[in-house]
Amino acid sequence: MLTCKDVALRASDLVDGEVGRWDSLRIRFHLAICAGCRNFVHQIKVTRDLTEDVTETTGSAPVGALTQDADIDAIFARVSPRDDTDNGSKTKQQSVE
Amino acid sequence: MAQRDDSETALVAALVARDRDVFATLYHQHTPGMIRFATRMTRNRALAEDLVQDTWVSVLDHIATFEGRASLVSWIYAILLNKTRSRTQREARQQSLDAAPDGSDADSFDATGHWKLLPALWDELTPERIVAGRHVLEIVNAAIDDLPDQQKTILLLRGTHGLSGDEICELLSISAANVRVSLHRARLAVRAALDQALA
Repeated sequence: MLTCKDVALRASDLVDGEVGRWDSLRIRFHLAICAGCRNFVHQIKVTRDLTEDVTETTGSAPVGALTQDADIDAIFARVSPRDDTDNGSKTKQQSVE
Repeated sequence: MAQRDDSETALVAALVARDRDVFATLYHQHTPGMIRFATRMTRNRALAEDLVQDTWVSVLDHIATFEGRASLVSWIYAILLNKTRSRTQREARQQSLDAAPDGSDADSFDATGHWKLLPALWDELTPERIVAGRHVLEIVNAAIDDLPDQQKTILLLRGTHGLSGDEICELLSISAANVRVSLHRARLAVRAALDQALA
């Protein structure tokens, strides 16, 4: 029998759909009889949605196509020239900073 | 999976060849999400834009070394995350899985695992709603800013288009279980801030 603590620990997994079928059934049975856990899971869902709203809206000022083309030009201007002598040779994937 | 590998292999080959059109497509697809992520991590839009530009330069400079062990998107975000941490001089605080999260489950339950105090039913919360004199979005932003580095990183990456749970694992070199625990703890902290404001 799941406790409220058990359900609370899985609340994020539940709202993200990351709970297996059997566990999901057990949790939903508990939620049917526990208002506290129903409210908590709802709070986690609202929290998840609000944090996704935040990441969607932050820094999302539109940039015109001309500015983006200029940015791409600036990137290519800074990129090191291609070293054609290395074509086809594998090197270890380096940690890039 | 094989289909993704083939298209990604072709993409990488085009980038190695400095194909501007292919790069522009990739740039347009990912730059907005990268700027959003970097802005939240640095709290500075101008710095975030610089970091994203630096990241793209590094992507092109080092694309020949990309071996495909992680997805290309994970690799790009790993570069961005490294640059962000270097520039802001933060070190990722190692979050002990044994440490009790703030305002957490552990404090909320009695010995039998039942709520000490039943969670309240929240009224409808929209980002624009004013609670305790502040927009809900401000409360959420402030709570996210106060999170430990790993929790904040995972919470922001989760809300960024295109990054799956597996890609976050690859990017941060941590297990799926660690990602889920950190994500849950981050949400608990934000939830606690909202609950306090609503009280």
